[in-house]
Amino acid sequence: MQRIKFLDRMIDGKLSRRQMMQAAGAFGVGTLVLPRPSVAAEVLTCLEWGGYDSPDYFQAYVDKYGAQPNFSIFAGEEDALAKVLAGFAADVMHPCNYSVARFVNAGVAAELDTSRLSHWNDIFPALQSAEGVVWDGKTVMAPADWGNSSLAFRPDLLPPEFVENPTWAIFYDEAYKGRVAMTDNEMAIVIGAMVGGMPYDEAYKLEGAALEAAAKEWGTRAVNVSKFLWTDSSEVQQAMASGEIVAAYAWNDLVANLRREGVPVEFANPKEGSFTWFCGLTLLNTGKADEQAAYDFIDAWLSPETGKALIEGSGYGHANMKAFEIADKEAIANMGITDPVAMMADTIVFKTPTDAVQDGFNKVWGDTKALKY
Amino acid sequence: MIAMLALPIAALVVLSFWTQSGFELDRTPTLENYAQLVRLTDEPTVWFGIPFYFSYPVPAILMIKSVVMSLSATVAVIALAYPMAYFLAFRVHKHKALWIILITIPFWTSYLLRVFAWKIVLGFNGAINSGLKAIGIIDQPLEFLLYNPGAVVITLAHSWVAFAILPIYVSLEKIDRSLLEAASDLGDSKLKRFLRITLPLSAPGTVAAALLVFIPTVGDYVTPTLVGGPGGTMIGNLVQELFLKQNNAPLGAAVAITMMLIIAVIVAIFLWAIGYRRIRARRA
Repeated sequence: MQRIKFLDRMIDGKLSRRQMMQAAGAFGVGTLVLPRPSVAAEVLTCLEWGGYDSPDYFQAYVDKYGAQPNFSIFAGEEDALAKVLAGFAADVMHPCNYSVARFVNAGVAAELDTSRLSHWNDIFPALQSAEGVVWDGKTVMAPADWGNSSLAFRPDLLPPEFVENPTWAIFYDEAYKGRVAMTDNEMAIVIGAMVGGMPYDEAYKLEGAALEAAAKEWGTRAVNVSKFLWTDSSEVQQAMASGEIVAAYAWNDLVANLRREGVPVEFANPKEGSFTWFCGLTLLNTGKADEQAAYDFIDAWLSPETGKALIEGSGYGHANMKAFEIADKEAIANMGITDPVAMMADTIVFKTPTDAVQDGFNKVWGDTKALKY
Repeated sequence: MIAMLALPIAALVVLSFWTQSGFELDRTPTLENYAQLVRLTDEPTVWFGIPFYFSYPVPAILMIKSVVMSLSATVAVIALAYPMAYFLAFRVHKHKALWIILITIPFWTSYLLRVFAWKIVLGFNGAINSGLKAIGIIDQPLEFLLYNPGAVVITLAHSWVAFAILPIYVSLEKIDRSLLEAASDLGDSKLKRFLRITLPLSAPGTVAAALLVFIPTVGDYVTPTLVGGPGGTMIGNLVQELFLKQNNAPLGAAVAITMMLIIAVIVAIFLWAIGYRRIRARRA
């Protein structure tokens, strides 16, 4: 609509010289010609997970600025961090409780001034002070979405023994070669170690020779058994809908989306445990846009309307307590647990590894994948 | 030219002599990155039955794998392109320009889209599988089509074939037709005439086409990412991984430079082996 209006006004000769120049500037035409002040302010740049670039999740920002921010989509936080460190000027990043410390330690995260966020006081108090939201005594992430990582499977395509007693071991079982999909993440090694009997509290901080042994035993098996290692959720959802794969490491959105299409799918509570994460928005100090725009974007994410969209659309929880008051009751019932504290008590909450451990996992996982043939 | 080519390569070379420590770049010049690529160990990593005595075997293994995959793609491209170019040069007499435009039509869409199209063709519910199912040859979709090195080679071959047709066509088109007539007059069979006249005289174009396909495909990154799965990984994916995931740009730069050198050596050996000098001398 905007575009057509612009063209109409241009044809009618109703556009001012300034508006024309601004439009040209949007194409990069004027950067050398125009005087500095007439170039429009830098657009906000956000590093986001695939799917979270939908305006449903930051409508208030769009209403205020009349346009969406720029997005750069990442598959995992480590990709995003490497991109920022390589010089990508992003303003806002969407890390999770276990990964935000990486951004703080790398010196690219800025402390949040929570008084500038109008919805801050409606956030679950447990999340306001949770590890990851607060790091080194500073609030570095505004918690927004929370949910689970677990095993999603097709009950119609798996034997009843598995359906009754689901286990992560399916990802390391040669009998299921080519019929499952792990995520392209070092979690494949961590979960493997857990299948081998190691508790999560030890598995997430494997290092050195123990890490290499775990990667050789479990990582290699996961890579060989998986049909593919998924990096974006639509890829794994399509494969699961068609029956190409019967089990996958998944988030709540997979189950919500497939059920909506009538595909039978279960979100398991495997005997080794399922995981809880909570993610949020972190202000980066590498950005060029106005800081107020970044705060407005974060605040839009914290709004109850965004929470409603998140709960109804993806089956994720939201950090704003009011979101649960206005969201569709049936959608909330489908989610099961609506209190993040209760959720965290029942499942394994992801933990933050040290930088050395994370670097070790990155390298070992990269090598493991490369050696598949 | 300097700004576009020399500076980025110089930057890459400089970067490869630095090291990464945590989030910081250590700017002391060192050969450590290169040493890491060739350092030996007693415990071999066995890959395809071949023991690799490197302590960091991934780059060496992926380099060999990439060269093999890329060579297969190159052979497939030449095998596809040569008959097409031959047809174009000798059988088409009218509207040649139109034919050439038709051949370049696949290039009107983005490379990414062409690769993605192959993902749809080869996929689980893709064109091949649903076609075979519809005519009753198979009941279960074939699983081996996508996410393996074969899928990467097929996609590369298709994507690059038009690049090969044009140089081969030009060299075939330039062949003096009176030579062919003379060969026939002097009693050569059609096959002999092809082997003794057409093939040698079109060699420069064919060699150019082979190099044009081989060099860029060794380091290709997007094709293995989309259709290769973990089994189809190539050396370009390792460079990307080192730069953008393992946050070790200096090592990534060292791998990239080593890759360039190895490709240069392979190309030099190839040209020497087919006697490129002789071909050039004959042309002159």
